[in-house]
Amino acid sequence: MKSLSNLQQAFCDLLRTSDPPPRDLMDELLDDGTALERFNVYRNNFIVLNGDALADMYPTVKRLIGDEAFRSLANLYVRKHPPATRTLLLYGDRFPSFLESIPELSQLPYLPDVARLEFEWTCAYHASDAKVLARDEVASIPAETFTRFGLEPHPSMHCIGSDYPLFSIWAANQEEGSDETISLDSGPSRIVIVRPGMEVETREVGEGTFVFLQRLQTGDSIEDAFNLALQTDSAFDLAVFFSHHLFDGTFCALRAC
Amino acid sequence: MDEPSASHCRAAAPVPVRAGVSLKAQHYQPVIEQRPSIGWFEVHPENYMGAGGPPLGYLERIRRDYPISLHSVGTSLGSHLPLDRDHLGALKGLVDRFEPGIVSEHLSWSHGREWYTHDLLPLRYTEDALNKVVEHVDQVQEALQRKILIENPSTYLQFRDSEMTEQAFLVEAARRSGAGLLLDINNVYVSCCNHDWDIEAYLSAIPANLVGEIHLAGHTVQAMSRGTLRLDDHGSAVCDEVWKLYKNCIETLGPVPTLIERDSNIPEFAELLGESIIADQVLTAAFSKYEVAV
Repeated sequence: MKSLSNLQQAFCDLLRTSDPPPRDLMDELLDDGTALERFNVYRNNFIVLNGDALADMYPTVKRLIGDEAFRSLANLYVRKHPPATRTLLLYGDRFPSFLESIPELSQLPYLPDVARLEFEWTCAYHASDAKVLARDEVASIPAETFTRFGLEPHPSMHCIGSDYPLFSIWAANQEEGSDETISLDSGPSRIVIVRPGMEVETREVGEGTFVFLQRLQTGDSIEDAFNLALQTDSAFDLAVFFSHHLFDGTFCALRAC
Repeated sequence: MDEPSASHCRAAAPVPVRAGVSLKAQHYQPVIEQRPSIGWFEVHPENYMGAGGPPLGYLERIRRDYPISLHSVGTSLGSHLPLDRDHLGALKGLVDRFEPGIVSEHLSWSHGREWYTHDLLPLRYTEDALNKVVEHVDQVQEALQRKILIENPSTYLQFRDSEMTEQAFLVEAARRSGAGLLLDINNVYVSCCNHDWDIEAYLSAIPANLVGEIHLAGHTVQAMSRGTLRLDDHGSAVCDEVWKLYKNCIETLGPVPTLIERDSNIPEFAELLGESIIADQVLTAAFSKYEVAV
């Protein structure tokens, strides 16, 4: 009879393989001739429960490659990278790079980026809540000093850049029955994900906005971030950007720089 | 006890002796908008361990109108490995924030050395496993500063060297730790069918004074090379046999808060509400019988 620790370790290590369980584990089980089938229920549960969590996280990837292909990739992934925490809320963080390692998927070079977008979407969904930047707060400082401040982006904000038309690919797959054709040559895509309230927003933005937000995220002042954004994208219009996004929950506070 | 707090505009904490249902994300909106006549809701705390966001926001809103129960799936009470302090801290945070009427966990384990199966794995019912479970229940109760309920599992295999029956192990674990029991009647039915155990003997070993909650759920039947196996997937309506057992149990135990549990194939909310009405009728009948007897 194995010790409690040896028994449990052998049991759960064997959930990760499809090899026949070794004799010494099978000897631990009461066997009416169906012990292996009974053990395989646990193997199947392990793969299916965690694979379902992965499917919830990556619905667009699943749609792009089909249910069957997704299920077999999920089986491989769950065995290779089983959950490392006691919640499944953010299970699947390594799935984007896992997809990159699968040679059969090289025909879909944008797939890992789609997965990155979906992972960040769920991160934003569960990110900390934060209050929205208030007009009073901005009004309380002298107007001429405003651009010397930084802006604290909402904790859910994440910027994703892709060499592929990622936003179009993702957006076309959010509706059932959509069969839009997207040319992979239609250029790179810049996306900002943010959850100011209860809804996660996925916004396609211009290069200037993208750089501006990335710089603010790293702690730059509005002025410095704007100058860098302008160097990358001469069409970036700060007044237009602020008229839409200064008080819509993209930011939660002014920050002294 | 009546200290002013953020909870002053909330429903009272204790879970009433009525039917409750599992709260699923699909049902946040109908529950908030329609305020259905349901005694209470139960959630898996692990689904609310994010930093923020809609799940916590919706739960906060629903908690205003209903008592809740936290039914944990991640403590791994039966593991030979130590409890996870971070997880326990997160659980304590949710207990403090939401003031659940009941906190419960399964008699199982799910913890590999550096990873988690997220499935509820079966225990070998031996004295050393019992000691480990009691030690862990003590630690959970100490960390949460409250009593928890331990739920009987559904299992698909048995260990040759088990030294006692599941029901004896369960009752002993509760007695030694001071915990109560969450009696899942579907799990009793599933495990007894899967292992050819005597259902009557199982249920009659459960002392009424330990049972703080009952679970009812559906299961599926899978063919094996010899016979069949019942799988506890929480994906369908409660079956007739389990309803029958439930009615008998309530006659014996008296009325107990009862959950209609559903974790997959989530139906329209009305379907769960319908099942909760049946359970409420059983509980009401038991109350009136009790009153007549008094």
